[in-house]
Amino acid sequence: MVHIDTAIAGIQLSNPMMLASGILDENGYTMLEILKKGAAAVVTKSIGTSERTGYKPPVVVPIQGGLLNAVGLANPGIDNFRDEMKIALSGNRPVFGSIFGATADEFLQLGLKMEEYGATAVELNLSCPHVAGYGTEVGSDPVLVEDIVNTLKSNLKIPVFAKLSPNVTDIVEIAKAAQKADALVLINTVRAMSIDIHARKAVLTNRYGGLSGQAIKNVGVRYVYEVSKETGKEIIGVGGIENAEDLIEYIMAGASAVQIGTALYTQGKDVFSRIAAGLVEFMESEGFNRISEMIGVAVE
Amino acid sequence: MIAKIISEVEKLGRNTVTIRFRWDQEVQPGQFLMVWLPRHSEIPISVSHTGPMKGITIRSYGETSAAMIGLREGDRIFFRGPYGRPFDTKPVRKLIVGGGSGMAGLLPLIDSDARGVVSARTSSDLLFADRFAEGHVTVVTDDGSSGIKGYAIDGLKSLPLDEFDMMYVCGPELMLKSILDYIVDKPIPAQFSLERIMKCGIGVCDSCSIDGKQLCTEGPTFTKEELLGMHEFGTARLTESGKRIQIGRH
Ligand SMILES: Cc1cc2nc3c(=O)[nH]c(=O)nc-3n(C[C@H](O)[C@H](O)[C@H](O)COP(=O)(O)O)c2cc1C
Ligand code: FES
Repeated sequence: MVHIDTAIAGIQLSNPMMLASGILDENGYTMLEILKKGAAAVVTKSIGTSERTGYKPPVVVPIQGGLLNAVGLANPGIDNFRDEMKIALSGNRPVFGSIFGATADEFLQLGLKMEEYGATAVELNLSCPHVAGYGTEVGSDPVLVEDIVNTLKSNLKIPVFAKLSPNVTDIVEIAKAAQKADALVLINTVRAMSIDIHARKAVLTNRYGGLSGQAIKNVGVRYVYEVSKETGKEIIGVGGIENAEDLIEYIMAGASAVQIGTALYTQGKDVFSRIAAGLVEFMESEGFNRISEMIGVAVE
Repeated sequence: MIAKIISEVEKLGRNTVTIRFRWDQEVQPGQFLMVWLPRHSEIPISVSHTGPMKGITIRSYGETSAAMIGLREGDRIFFRGPYGRPFDTKPVRKLIVGGGSGMAGLLPLIDSDARGVVSARTSSDLLFADRFAEGHVTVVTDDGSSGIKGYAIDGLKSLPLDEFDMMYVCGPELMLKSILDYIVDKPIPAQFSLERIMKCGIGVCDSCSIDGKQLCTEGPTFTKEELLGMHEFGTARLTESGKRIQIGRH
């Protein structure tokens, strides 16, 4: 008998798949729908301290191998997000509140609110612009990452996940700075751009954006493998997962669970049930009974 | 993005134009394009002409649509699509109910038998009322400057609904809601096309959602039965930032 349930930071998940932050998770009812479609948990879109409308469209465009996005951290502000959390939590499955800020103090205020709203855990989106080091991301400064993670860990009761950016020179250094987090989430989008040759202009209003989907899968697998090997931490793998084989690759690289975003666009909402079926089939034919037997088996 | 050369711009009153361009792609009534005006923005626009010479009808509301109506013959138009679930167009005797620029997406459904109710705030905002056969259209304006004074629903009340196989409705959500409420216990089948903020058009950003369904991929057309089960319909939506607001009270 094959079991596809798993656990991350002590949180039980009925299967290894959760919805990634920023895709279909702004409206509480949509998060409920995604849970009904078979996701074991959802991560909310990243929420900040104040309301932001984000960039003007185009903010998401389909390209070869995935999506390019620069939404500009559009979000209603934490105070306006209470209702959506309440609706999403009515699905009686884990809801992880994603938050972004520029300082440890901002993250802390947001984390405390998410905890108050009933979030099962918080996920720190460390990819937003670093105010002091203008132009870089918060997540590329190990001192700041450590400060943020440690501040949240010492003030919150719920687990803290740190979502790392792949746009750094040495991810292991950042992962070590986030050592106190209950789990690491790898990876966020890869910095990229697309130019429309007829308009002779960048397609995204923000010009630069983040690449997601198939095109980044093997980048994600490599980061998960490397960080798992070097830190031994619990990892949630994300980036380009579209089918059961992709998910298994991440698990074998060291992830205990995964997140799925862009595949909602390429495969539709049935992607969760389809992957679950493929996962069971693979485990049966390869003689695995539990997800835990597969985690990190490729790491050497 | 797809880029096409504009072959014609037809002016329809003060602030509305139809932009025509050749595009050999099958597009069905009810579908839309995400139209990009570089240096401005990208907005969803229904396809008003679905033949090989495609057309989109734009009314200037905001900054981007205002700039778009300034496009000229020979300029390029950039877009992606077609997106969205089309209308089910099998039924023969159609009743078409459009409010304001909502008529643009209904235009491809008009045939010689179709009956229409066309409403707008004022007579100069009426769109495509002249495309119905003689005597087949009821005009309604909020201010009474043309036709019946009132709302779309007032134009419907005098019509024998049981003579139609399908009703097609597009317009502001509160108009749609009033019509749904009116026909809820009547046997006429109906399809509604909804409008909400759309930032991506491809089922990713969640800005267009209603009761967990995305207008851009699972809509924008919904049947009467589908809408009846939705409690965000006519009551709540998210703004550009994602903030939940009540419809009609903001
Ligand atoms: C449109 C879009 C919006 C996103 N917004 C966020 C966000 O708000 N916070 C975040 O941490 N990641 C965000 N991401 C990144 C995803 O959570 C994920 O890390 C990335 O897309 C890779 O996974 P995928 O290939 O399965 O999409 C976004 C991705 C996309 C495509
Ligand atoms: S417009 Fe983005 S989900 Fe519909």
